[in-house]
Amino acid sequence: MTPSTDPPLLAVEPGYRHVLRAQTAISWLPLVIGAIIADQILLRDTPFHGIPSIIVPLLALLAITLIPQRKYSRLRYRLTDRMLQSLHGWMFHTDTMVPFVRVQHLDVVRGPLDKAFGTASLIVHTAGTHNSIVTVAGLAPDRAAEIRDIIREHVRSDFE
Amino acid sequence: MSSSDQAVGVAERLHPLYLVTGLGRGLRQMAGGYAAIGYFAATGSWGTALLLLAGIAVVLTIGVFLYWKRFEYRVGANEIRIDSGILSRTHRSIPFDRIQDVDISQGPVARLLGLARVAFETGASAGDKSDDGALAAISLARAAEIRELVRARRGAAVASADLTETEAAPIFAMDPPRVFLAGLFNFSLAVIAALFGATQTVGDVAGLDFFTRRFWRQALEAGSPIADFVLANQIAAGIAGTVLLLITGLVTGVARTVLRDFRFRLDRTPAGLRRRRGLLTLTDVTLPIKRTHAAIIGSGPLRNRFGWSDLKLQSLGKDEGKKGDHLVAPLARESEIAAILAQLNWRPVDPSSDWQRTSPAFAWGFTGALFLLLIPAGIQLAINPLIGLAAVAFLTVLVAFRWLSWRRTRFALDGDRLLIRSGWWRRRLILLPLANIQSVDLTENIFSRRFGLASLAIGVASGRGFSAHGIAAIPAPTARALRTSLLARFA
Repeated sequence: MTPSTDPPLLAVEPGYRHVLRAQTAISWLPLVIGAIIADQILLRDTPFHGIPSIIVPLLALLAITLIPQRKYSRLRYRLTDRMLQSLHGWMFHTDTMVPFVRVQHLDVVRGPLDKAFGTASLIVHTAGTHNSIVTVAGLAPDRAAEIRDIIREHVRSDFE
Repeated sequence: MSSSDQAVGVAERLHPLYLVTGLGRGLRQMAGGYAAIGYFAATGSWGTALLLLAGIAVVLTIGVFLYWKRFEYRVGANEIRIDSGILSRTHRSIPFDRIQDVDISQGPVARLLGLARVAFETGASAGDKSDDGALAAISLARAAEIRELVRARRGAAVASADLTETEAAPIFAMDPPRVFLAGLFNFSLAVIAALFGATQTVGDVAGLDFFTRRFWRQALEAGSPIADFVLANQIAAGIAGTVLLLITGLVTGVARTVLRDFRFRLDRTPAGLRRRRGLLTLTDVTLPIKRTHAAIIGSGPLRNRFGWSDLKLQSLGKDEGKKGDHLVAPLARESEIAAILAQLNWRPVDPSSDWQRTSPAFAWGFTGALFLLLIPAGIQLAINPLIGLAAVAFLTVLVAFRWLSWRRTRFALDGDRLLIRSGWWRRRLILLPLANIQSVDLTENIFSRRFGLASLAIGVASGRGFSAHGIAAIPAPTARALRTSLLARFA
């Protein structure tokens, strides 16, 4: 790492798109099922019968095809010599910077979806009650561990 | 990366007896399950109840076993790593430098088995994941070993000799009578509220709801003798009920305090202030002195009358998991509190400091707002005198509290620290060294600006959930000047 000039923003693993898709699909599933059931039971005798059963799954399909791609393209992270920067958010852009010396502890988390698509999340905990958890999702497991080790070295060198 | 075994440490498991203690904890968490079993048993479906019971037992056992099987921790050269999770794996790494204190606690079963729960407090408020890092059950010896290791690695001033409790007298301790007294003061209003709620619910089931008009109309239509009888009965029952609630509140307070604070003992160790307490569950917490950010001396009208107060220290990390500030003296005399503060090299509060008052708008604004609520209360008074009266009384009490609280509110800039005194029912005196201030917010809103007032919220790197320490309703120029002087040392 060259300390003076900021290194470029890095994209996360392409496989994370699938994780995002799967997550979106899972989050839409109850809504779709609920809409279909409600449609079949409650709207049976109204002129609206059948509309939710078509519209909601279509919306879900739209969401699954469009949103993850956009979210993914916004996901960036950067590791300077003293900070971790994380950019995310499709409609609401968030750009978080965490100085290494403020980090309290570090998690590398792999959920079932992460395992299926070969990604991992790095979770950085800082002190305090506000915005104290910063996540960099969609990293390769090795890369997550590598960043964890880099940050941990800095935590160690900060000493009173 | 490229880490040798020595750097990462050897993988260790929780103590195999965790399978026993973990099961116990799991059983306690299954409240909903018991309700269901009780329901089925009560309605006569014994088969279903038994099946459910067996199901819960099997699921719990498997769950605890899998948790144990998938849980590993390593004590490395610079950090502690915890790998956990059955389906979703978390690899947590906690650098020694960030560990504020190592809490060791032992429940009754764990004490029998010689096990301890170890929690690493880092000050990261992971919100719902209330533990920053915890080892649910390891042997007590290993727990003490890890704690010593963490202290040594953290560069604590002393290469810890054996810190057995024989060396010095504690700086603060509570004997059983004192603990009992603390329990009396700890009289719990929450319990009363809960019991009142319960009586309401039970009354509902019994078909007697005193808060419906129908009940009263029927009662009164039935003729005046009966009405008198009902009313008299009502009052007698009310008094008896109140006394019962008071006693319950007292007993609960005493029981809770004795369980928690029995053999309360605070020692000065090289690593900081060490607190041990507990009757069934022993806890052992060390609070590093350097990381103490503020002190809060609390009291109440009754305790204050008898000259008692409590002392809490605010540091990174929370007391026993989630309870906010560290309680270092549950019930102490002023001189004892001064002695503890002296251990931190803090001088006692000088009563002749240059105390400033806040604006009465603090109470006026509140009174005005509650005045609006008085309108529905008045309407109730016409329809349903009992509720109306209660509502009016409640509002009056609220307003009175606010005024009393305003009368006690003072703040003073005492050299290198800020003193804030507030509250009447919950009296608090906050000692906040200026060096520990992280941020100062000055807030004005459309109302306060009209009266030329502002509020200050002072952020410290720790503390209970929402709390920035604040001073409400002070004249805006004073607020700005105070902010400037609070932050002067950083300029």
